[in-house]
Amino acid sequence: MLQQPLLEIKELKTHFNTERGRVTAVDGISFHLEEGEILGVVGESGCGKSVTSQSILRLFDEKYTVKYDGEILLNGLDLLKLPMSKMQKLRGNDVSMIFQDPLSSLNPVYTIGYQIAESVMLHQKLSKKAAYERAVEMLRLTGIPAPEKRVNDYPHQLSGGMRQRVMIAMALACKPKLLIADEPTTALDVTIQAQILDLIIGLNKEFGMSVIFITHDLGVVAEVCTRVVVMYLGQVVEEADVEELFARPYHPYTKGLMKSIPQMDGDRSQNLHVIEGTMPSLHDMPKGCRFASRCPYADEQCKEQAPKLETLQSMHKVRCWHYEKIVEMEELTYADASR
Amino acid sequence: MKAFILKRVLALLPILFIVSIVVFLVIHLTPGDPATVMLGDTATEEQVKALREQLGLNNPIHEQYVHWISGVFQGDFGYSYFMKQPVMDTIISHLGPTVSLAILAEIMAILIGIPLGIIAATRRGSATDQSLMGVALLGISVPSFLLGLFLVLVFAVQLRWLPVGGYEPLSEGLLLHLKYLIMPAIALGSMQIALTARMTRSSLLEVLNTNFIKAARSKGVKERHVIYRHALRNAFLPILTVLGQTFGVLITGAAVVETIFNIPGIGQLIINSVGRRDYSVIQGVVLFVTFTYVFINLVIDLLYGVIDPRVRLDQK
Amino acid sequence: MEALEKREELIVIKSNLKKQQRQLFIRRFFANKLAVVGLAIIIFLILLSILGPLVISHDPYGMKVDDRLGAPSSIHLLGTDEFGRDLLSRIIYGAQVSMGVGFAVAAIASIVGMAVGLYASYYRVLDNVLMRICDGIMAFPAILLAIALMAALGASTNNVILSLSIVYIPYIARVVRSAALVVREETYIEAMKAQGASSWRIIWLHIAPNTLSPLIVQATFIFANAIIVEAALSFLGAGVPAPDPSWGNILYDGKKVIFTAWWMVVYPGICIVLSVLGFNLFGDGLRDLLDPHTNQAKK
Repeated sequence: MLQQPLLEIKELKTHFNTERGRVTAVDGISFHLEEGEILGVVGESGCGKSVTSQSILRLFDEKYTVKYDGEILLNGLDLLKLPMSKMQKLRGNDVSMIFQDPLSSLNPVYTIGYQIAESVMLHQKLSKKAAYERAVEMLRLTGIPAPEKRVNDYPHQLSGGMRQRVMIAMALACKPKLLIADEPTTALDVTIQAQILDLIIGLNKEFGMSVIFITHDLGVVAEVCTRVVVMYLGQVVEEADVEELFARPYHPYTKGLMKSIPQMDGDRSQNLHVIEGTMPSLHDMPKGCRFASRCPYADEQCKEQAPKLETLQSMHKVRCWHYEKIVEMEELTYADASR
Repeated sequence: MKAFILKRVLALLPILFIVSIVVFLVIHLTPGDPATVMLGDTATEEQVKALREQLGLNNPIHEQYVHWISGVFQGDFGYSYFMKQPVMDTIISHLGPTVSLAILAEIMAILIGIPLGIIAATRRGSATDQSLMGVALLGISVPSFLLGLFLVLVFAVQLRWLPVGGYEPLSEGLLLHLKYLIMPAIALGSMQIALTARMTRSSLLEVLNTNFIKAARSKGVKERHVIYRHALRNAFLPILTVLGQTFGVLITGAAVVETIFNIPGIGQLIINSVGRRDYSVIQGVVLFVTFTYVFINLVIDLLYGVIDPRVRLDQK
Repeated sequence: MEALEKREELIVIKSNLKKQQRQLFIRRFFANKLAVVGLAIIIFLILLSILGPLVISHDPYGMKVDDRLGAPSSIHLLGTDEFGRDLLSRIIYGAQVSMGVGFAVAAIASIVGMAVGLYASYYRVLDNVLMRICDGIMAFPAILLAIALMAALGASTNNVILSLSIVYIPYIARVVRSAALVVREETYIEAMKAQGASSWRIIWLHIAPNTLSPLIVQATFIFANAIIVEAALSFLGAGVPAPDPSWGNILYDGKKVIFTAWWMVVYPGICIVLSVLGFNLFGDGLRDLLDPHTNQAKK
């Protein structure tokens, strides 16, 4: 019997009620996450990756704005069916999250020590003193110098990189099984970015903590992740192990994303590739393949019929009518060019 | 923190200077000779001449200003020839009722307005929210003197539950004090309740949309604590501003309400002084009330620093 | 030639875009039911104050001793006051006074406040002086300053307009200044300066239009406030002098006879609430549409 995955998402749909009617920002997403794995979720902004991650913790207002469909199984327990009180006990304790913008994600009127200690006091019923000691320990773990002093600082007194370390310390304070990192390095400059990535990889190795790493940057994915899910307009378009995906990207969208990674050692005279066109609006969803309007290979079939997510050998999944044909065509042109 | 306070106080000086100039000029804007105006129609020519001499009206205008403002700094707000006493004494003897009234109305704004705003914000879009905000909008649209008149019509004229007007000081007993003040306080406070509720709602909604609230939720903080511990403290700055402005509105709104309910406060004093053209009292009251108002806003400003570390710590 | 065509094409696209924006704006405004109700109330009051006097049959100044304090009846729909004057006609003429004062104050405060705000934003030296003066005037509670000014100037409708305009100019100036400061930093303003455009041209033709949205919102609220303060001043006997009717004036008379003639208080009161409510609803709707900051908060 196969071991049960830590997290399994089945046909998740997240609908929003907006002024202009109902939109489905996440439309039938399925993927799973093994224990100790770092899974990358990749896509342009607006593809629904952040909505997916926040849906896992059910952070949207369910009374008026959001409705979920499908299942989110954490160790076999469906989170979407839990009462809110149970959900609150689970947040920060079993599953934690770090956000894109570390400044706006920290409450400006409380010290960072309080904000780290808060979840410890909540979930592990530690005394205030013990919780603050844990906060100092977490700050040290995330590489903040002089943590005994820093613990009493307010967020605005720290630099961007430090703030993100604080966010990570806050998220890890209760030693969760799963960390969801939503573009944790986007707002930071390159050197700090590398430090934060190293920190996350280190924590993953040291504590066996599973990570869902959300980003728009395939370069970062190659560095950090073991497996990748590529999303476009609320759907998974491709999923594969990281080596497999970089060796054999099937979906034209994934190919486009790869070409847009700047190559340090490549031919500098070549222009950076840009995927033409813009994502269609959620209010105005195409009925065929969602990428058809921007796809160089799209034909009538693509515009009329929506492709299914197909599983190939070696667990590689792709949502495209023509992936085989495209590979052949590319091999031909490559052969032509090198002749 | 000391530097922060000093900076705020210094920033007030130009404002107070402008205020004093405006108040000073008001009396010089009056058509005719201030001395004649002050003494009334019955004054003899000698009296007028003597007063002109005493007030230094024959001096150049900037010297008059300096003379006047240095008096103000020593607590000398001028002399009322109508009341036959210094303006300051007149103000102090009328202060009690107005302060009572303003405090009562401010308490209502805080105790009713803020909770209603929180309720509306946390149930955004619901029927409760919509009806609360509807009532609040009505509250903003009914001026205090009108509400006062309507209240008199219902509770004093029709139902005869409460006195039409008048005032009993607190020393005569709390219940009696409140019996006379409750209608004026509601008339005066309703708009402030509505304003406070609206501000609390919009400010809280804005904060509830921020990432750090999402982050607080994501670490499992209970919804109640998310609102009261994380959101409200951040939402409080704009609410405080409104409460500060409210106090100024209350003191002047009192002018109208006191006239309706015949309460011997600052408001009635200034209206009566306008009626009898007692300019030195008008000048004194306007200056006194505005200084108080500016001072209250300074206190609010300093409270910002207590609540928000960014304000406090960036002033180093 | 080609460049010219391209330019014309661009102009067409631009004007189409503006048209679309305008249509979207109108559609969104009419989607906000409360704002539409507000607009309807305002239009009703304007029509009442303009057309009303043509329809009514009673003279608002005509005293009749026999008809003193008459209850509403078929002849005097809203009753009569203590001089036997017809209350309905006084309220209709009062609408003219109250709406007129509101309009005049909003207009004068807007024009002067706009000039102050624009020049303050454009010239640094002027900025300090003008803004300190604005701060000083705004430091006064509004009604208090109005009372003081009225005491100095003497009670008359024109003086009400003058005092209230002085009180509200800084509020407009502040809003215009902060909107103008944003535009001032735009590159095209720098470019125009470099090309030698006169400052008058830059200020009035290029910066000013960008400050209109916040100005209009602010002016709507000032309109509402001016109606309230005028009524309050008149009610206190320091505003529009008798025998001219204004809603506040009628209330002043009504207060004296509140035990016997409720209609003297209720009807003008309803008019004041209605007009203020109308402007507040309309202003709230406009602000939601024009002010991106509150828009964000709403999402």
